[in-house]
Amino acid sequence: MTNVKVNSVAKTYGTTPVLSDITTEFPEGSFTSLLGPSGSGKTTLLRIIAGFIKPDQGAVTIGNNDVTHIPVWGRNIGMMFQSYALFPHMTIAQNVAFGLERRGIKGAAARKEVDRALEMVRLPGFGDRTPKQLSGGQQQRVALARAIVIKPSVLLLDEPLSALDRRLRQEMQVELLRIQRESGLTTIFVTHDQEEALTLSDKVAILDKGRIVQIGEPETVYERPLTRFAAEFLGDSNFLTGTVENGAVRLADGTVVQTTATLPASGSNVTLAVRPEKMSIASGPTDGNGLTARITTVIYAGPVLSYLLETADGLPLKLFAQNRDGKVLSDGDTITLTWAAEHTVPVAD
Amino acid sequence: MQNDRLTSASERGPSGPRSRRPLPPWVSTTALLLPTYGWLTLAVFLPLLTMFVFSFMSATPMGKAPIVFTLKQYRAFIDQPYLVGIGITSLLIGFWTTLFCAVLGFLAAVALVRSTFGKTREMLLILILLPFWTNGLVRVFSWTMVLRENGFLDSLLHMIAPDAGSIGFLYTRYAVVVGLVHGYLPYMILTCYIALVAIDDAIIEAASSLGARWWTILFKILVPLAAPGLISGAVLIFIPVIGSFMEPRILGGRVGVTMGTVIEDQFTQAFNWPLGASLSFTLLAVVLAIFATFSGVLRRGTVA
Amino acid sequence: MKTLGPIYLIAILIFLYTPILVMMAMGFNASPLYELPFHFSLQWYNALWDNSILLTAGLNSLVIASITAVLATALGTMASVALSRRTFRGRSLLQLMLLPPIAIPWLITGTAMLIFFYWTGIGRGMHALLIGHVALAIPYVVLVVGTGFKTIRADLEEAAMSLGSTPVHAFFSVTLPLLYPSILGAALFAFAVSLDQFVISYFLATPGYTTLPVQIYSSIRKGFTPEINAISTVLLLGSMTIILIFARFAKPGDTSDKR
Repeated sequence: MTNVKVNSVAKTYGTTPVLSDITTEFPEGSFTSLLGPSGSGKTTLLRIIAGFIKPDQGAVTIGNNDVTHIPVWGRNIGMMFQSYALFPHMTIAQNVAFGLERRGIKGAAARKEVDRALEMVRLPGFGDRTPKQLSGGQQQRVALARAIVIKPSVLLLDEPLSALDRRLRQEMQVELLRIQRESGLTTIFVTHDQEEALTLSDKVAILDKGRIVQIGEPETVYERPLTRFAAEFLGDSNFLTGTVENGAVRLADGTVVQTTATLPASGSNVTLAVRPEKMSIASGPTDGNGLTARITTVIYAGPVLSYLLETADGLPLKLFAQNRDGKVLSDGDTITLTWAAEHTVPVAD
Repeated sequence: MQNDRLTSASERGPSGPRSRRPLPPWVSTTALLLPTYGWLTLAVFLPLLTMFVFSFMSATPMGKAPIVFTLKQYRAFIDQPYLVGIGITSLLIGFWTTLFCAVLGFLAAVALVRSTFGKTREMLLILILLPFWTNGLVRVFSWTMVLRENGFLDSLLHMIAPDAGSIGFLYTRYAVVVGLVHGYLPYMILTCYIALVAIDDAIIEAASSLGARWWTILFKILVPLAAPGLISGAVLIFIPVIGSFMEPRILGGRVGVTMGTVIEDQFTQAFNWPLGASLSFTLLAVVLAIFATFSGVLRRGTVA
Repeated sequence: MKTLGPIYLIAILIFLYTPILVMMAMGFNASPLYELPFHFSLQWYNALWDNSILLTAGLNSLVIASITAVLATALGTMASVALSRRTFRGRSLLQLMLLPPIAIPWLITGTAMLIFFYWTGIGRGMHALLIGHVALAIPYVVLVVGTGFKTIRADLEEAAMSLGSTPVHAFFSVTLPLLYPSILGAALFAFAVSLDQFVISYFLATPGYTTLPVQIYSSIRKGFTPEINAISTVLLLGSMTIILIFARFAKPGDTSDKR
């Protein structure tokens, strides 16, 4: 159980920079998600940490060791793959014992560890079965057992749950979290599913086009996105552009928007993000910010009502309202949206 | 729970040549490839090269006779005009064989894909392809049983019309084509099948829903989409056929004279190796030209 | 369409198998001139036992096919490993180089070998035949093993490496065991290819050492008797059996995990 550090890691394929100057630390025992769209470089970063890819520059440190030049088989990592990658010609027990055998642990001692690991993933007694006989979820748990039984320095997961259906996925998420807490392994988890990232992680790192856009606790990253991309990728967001004036922001149509965040200097342009669920429909005059808009589309999704709106200026807005009383507004209705100043977040473009 | 061995093992990391710098990958790659390609060079490429050299000799080098280089072997078509006729015959045989294989084979592949499923299809495929992988000589021989006078064909005829003459057509060019088609048909069925199987059923359903009848579907959808399979099958049938000598000899007798038999004669009867070499290389040139023309389609259309 | 299809296919099968079946049947007919009516007789098969020329040729074919299978499989598998798992400049070219033995008409390759072996003093006979047969079988082996490789996902080796295997160890403990069916299938294929090879053998054989197909050809040219049918039937059934075994074997086993 050790921390992992990457320093100025960069990788280019041909003329395309896939990762640019990545420097960050994954603290001991933490669960960090690398979140981003495809092509963002998150898998590349994981594979560089694992050792499958050599970075063009920069260093990778696991614990106190600089492992940049050590091939993957010497790094003492545990890895889980999207396709489970269980060895089909071996039994479950042989699969799990594979890494132990590489470390010189065989026979009875190995069997003991294998049994313990299988129990940990709640598959006791499955040792004699073969991967073909197991369901997807069970196979993934075996893959997890195989990765943790060797007590690796770090656990690396490459979208391990993407192939599972929704129900199974949620179950596995709970399992994963439990096992990670019990073992205390430093875990780095690649996913494109934001819900997953928010649910499981101590820290979320958002990647876009080869750079870390923001890294922080789920709450922080979600409530205080730093960039437009972060605000859009994680959840939904409304964007308002305006000019800074007297500690507030004046929009094009004259509306003044208040925020509790620090604003740039007076006179500069700024983009503000407001999450749709932070807005509500004003029934009368309010203290908070307000905007008038006309409903263009109503989406009835059961527990949540989504309204797509447009202001008089043509600015598109989104509102998520809890379906409290079953009353649904109609297309064409004009309403006033309101939200608190603290939910107005300035973001970089 | 403490397991000292495991803990220290995990600290130590997995055993193995970690600190020892691994050999550069090209070493092992070369070691893996060298035997095979060395063998191929010795057995195929050097011989072809040697034959190329031989094709410029005036006579088969024997003993101490000096080797004279000449271009006359390549003028054979001009010096011996009958070779042109034979060349054309070979091309015609190739053409007809390929044509029959294409039509019969394509339809068979369509039948396989559109009207058989699962185990039946598997079994039919194996049955169809099985002869292809057995001895070609024996299969050609079997046609003599059928086509000769008083062979199987005649027996069938005499069962209905006992006094009729013989319809056996062994030792004709038609027999050669029949034998060649029989030999190479499974291959065309295979390539067309692979191409057709890749066509999404939904496309055909969409065409039907838009009002297409079966001939439209056949000619406007299946044939164009299966074209790579047809073309690669045609190429890979035409080429061996124009170089065949066994089938023409056995099924064609005296009439079965093709480029293949002429070339073979140079090596076994006439002992004029340089001429045989030049004719071979001319044939090879034709083969390579065909490959070059269709290389794009072939890459997409073959089994590999 | 639904009924026409199977009928047409059966017609095709009749076309493909009738001559073969006729030939096999005539091997059991007493008449040495293939005259009907049909009288069942095993005399031709008995005659085979005394026909030392055919028997020797048959034995030679088996020996050569066996050695070819072993050599071609070994060489072809090694080459296939390099071609499938490594990327390097010139790989396409090397793959292309595997085509000539099967794409170029065997008449050309055979005569070229004849010339080359004569000129370099290798001559004809068993060793020449072996050189030729192995060269022909290698591309098929590479093809079969290469296809087998494609069914093995690359991340299996990666998983092994992540657990501490060096690439070599990962290959031997994970990839190779999964390749066995393909390798075995390739060996069977090479055996069948060698057994049935006629053209190249024709040019490289000597009066003292021939293979069965070559001997059958000479017999046909000289004037044939049903003994030829008998030996041909044996050869045919032999190859068919091998190919059928191959078809069962080389069916890609379920090496992919269930989803």
